[in-house]
Amino acid sequence: MSMEETSTRKLILYVAGETPKSLAAISNLERICREHLPGKYQIEVIDLKKNPQLAREHKIVAIPTLVRELPIPIRKIIGDLSDEQKVLVNLRVE
Amino acid sequence: MRNSQEQALQSLIDDLRQRVAEAEETLAAIRDGSVDAVVVGGEGKDEVLVIGDDVSAFRNFMEAMEPGAVAVDSAGRLLYANARFRQIFAEDWDRLKGKLLSEILPGPAAQLIGRLINSDSEETAPVSVSFLERGMERNYLVSARPVHLGTVRGFAVTFSDLTERVRAETAERAQRVANAIIASANEAVIVCDRMHNITHANFAAEALSTQKLVGARLDTAIPLKFPDATGILEIGELVESSLAGTPLRSIEAFAPMSPGARDVLVSAAPLNISDDEPEGCVLTLVDLTQRKKDERQMHLLMRELDHRVKNTLALVLSISKRTAASEETLEGFQGSFSGRIEALAATHNLLAGASWESLSLRQIFGAEVSPYAETSGDRINITGPDLSLYPRAAIALGLIFHELATNATKYGALSGETGTIDLEIHPRTDSPSVEVTWTESGGPPVKSFSRKGFGHTVIARSLSYSPHGGTTLDFEPSGVVCRIRIPVSDVA
Repeated sequence: MSMEETSTRKLILYVAGETPKSLAAISNLERICREHLPGKYQIEVIDLKKNPQLAREHKIVAIPTLVRELPIPIRKIIGDLSDEQKVLVNLRVE
Repeated sequence: MRNSQEQALQSLIDDLRQRVAEAEETLAAIRDGSVDAVVVGGEGKDEVLVIGDDVSAFRNFMEAMEPGAVAVDSAGRLLYANARFRQIFAEDWDRLKGKLLSEILPGPAAQLIGRLINSDSEETAPVSVSFLERGMERNYLVSARPVHLGTVRGFAVTFSDLTERVRAETAERAQRVANAIIASANEAVIVCDRMHNITHANFAAEALSTQKLVGARLDTAIPLKFPDATGILEIGELVESSLAGTPLRSIEAFAPMSPGARDVLVSAAPLNISDDEPEGCVLTLVDLTQRKKDERQMHLLMRELDHRVKNTLALVLSISKRTAASEETLEGFQGSFSGRIEALAATHNLLAGASWESLSLRQIFGAEVSPYAETSGDRINITGPDLSLYPRAAIALGLIFHELATNATKYGALSGETGTIDLEIHPRTDSPSVEVTWTESGGPPVKSFSRKGFGHTVIARSLSYSPHGGTTLDFEPSGVVCRIRIPVSDVA
């Protein structure tokens, strides 16, 4: 595995349809990744309104929640991701 | 063994700590409003519950609104956009959702709306913005009102389409300006449509016709006659020519049906409102009547001047010949000739000052006699009503007075210190001539002219151009008496 691949973030964003916070979270995440992690991220958006059972995998309770699946360990960030610094700290490989 | 048990326990404790931390974080997020939905499980089935108001009712309301409407959060991010808004920007909701208004709207409009939603005031005046929608500029009145959407505080922003109203106002203003331009033009301006029906006409144009112009057909309202040289038969041809792309300028024409039948200079240009074919024709008619009248007057004056110059030259030639024949010396000729030409010039000057119309007899007398005696003194008396004489009689009388005055200075009343001259202007009667009498007295004893020189001829013949004009010269012992008959036809 190359360093490049290792540093790719696999991100899962859990949203609830088009609630204001869900829309804000999607928009904020796309912008932060575009600006700070160009080409090094992969986002999957899961709408729990449509598939509530998918909440179990990561034990999601509050929506929106972002899960950093890779690199491990798994990290969760709860909220609409409007605090950019907090998001960047949690996405950075340590 | 003990160690592995301790490790397992420690791992369990770490896991529990992690879960507690997560649980605390989740609760804090719910409490501070960072999330707006939660997953709840019941009977083995998970369900998502949205916290706060149900936004679907709000969305349905927005969807039914006629103006474009969006809901944005405090950062200007689109939380919902109704069908009209999506139509304005030709975008699907999936492409619009979550975007900032500033990413969708053009810069100036985004700035104006940005100020609306950043204002602290609850009541903010709407702003007017315009931007291109499928290549056409459209105008919107944008207003923003604060709303609560779920757990967030945001704004409902509406876009009311003013384009048609703005267009109508612009068109109305343009129409008013166009009408004002036409109305304030000094020249006659007529606008007609492609069918030659008059749609606009200003005051100067109305004065060219006896009927109301707007609504009438051009060729019946203002029929024009064109000189043969133009090759144009009627006014409709000008319209057709300009509609076909050939504007015509400054064509002379005559408007026989216009009040006071006028000469006009006509120009026709196509009325281009759009890029399509001309929608009509704009005609301007410059009134040439006064100019034509002035030209005729000028030609008349030129002919009159020519005639008078010829007459005067003939008279000068005649004076020269006759003076030469009656004078024996060069000095004598010079003196007499100059005196007579000056006499002629004096009358000419007076006539020029009076535009060659008529002269007062007293003025002519004054001009001719004043070089020899004080006309307002004791030695010259004028009695009777003044007469106003036409140029022919004025010139003749000027020459007669000159000869009489010269003679009086040499031999008669003005040759000594005491003689007097009385000029009596007789009142007009039914007679075809008016009489004026020149009577000298107090001078030396009078002898008849020893020889009838040119002076005598001038006195005798100057007024003989008419059977009612002439003079009688008598050499009375007391002084010369000259009876002058002026034809009544030359008295104004």
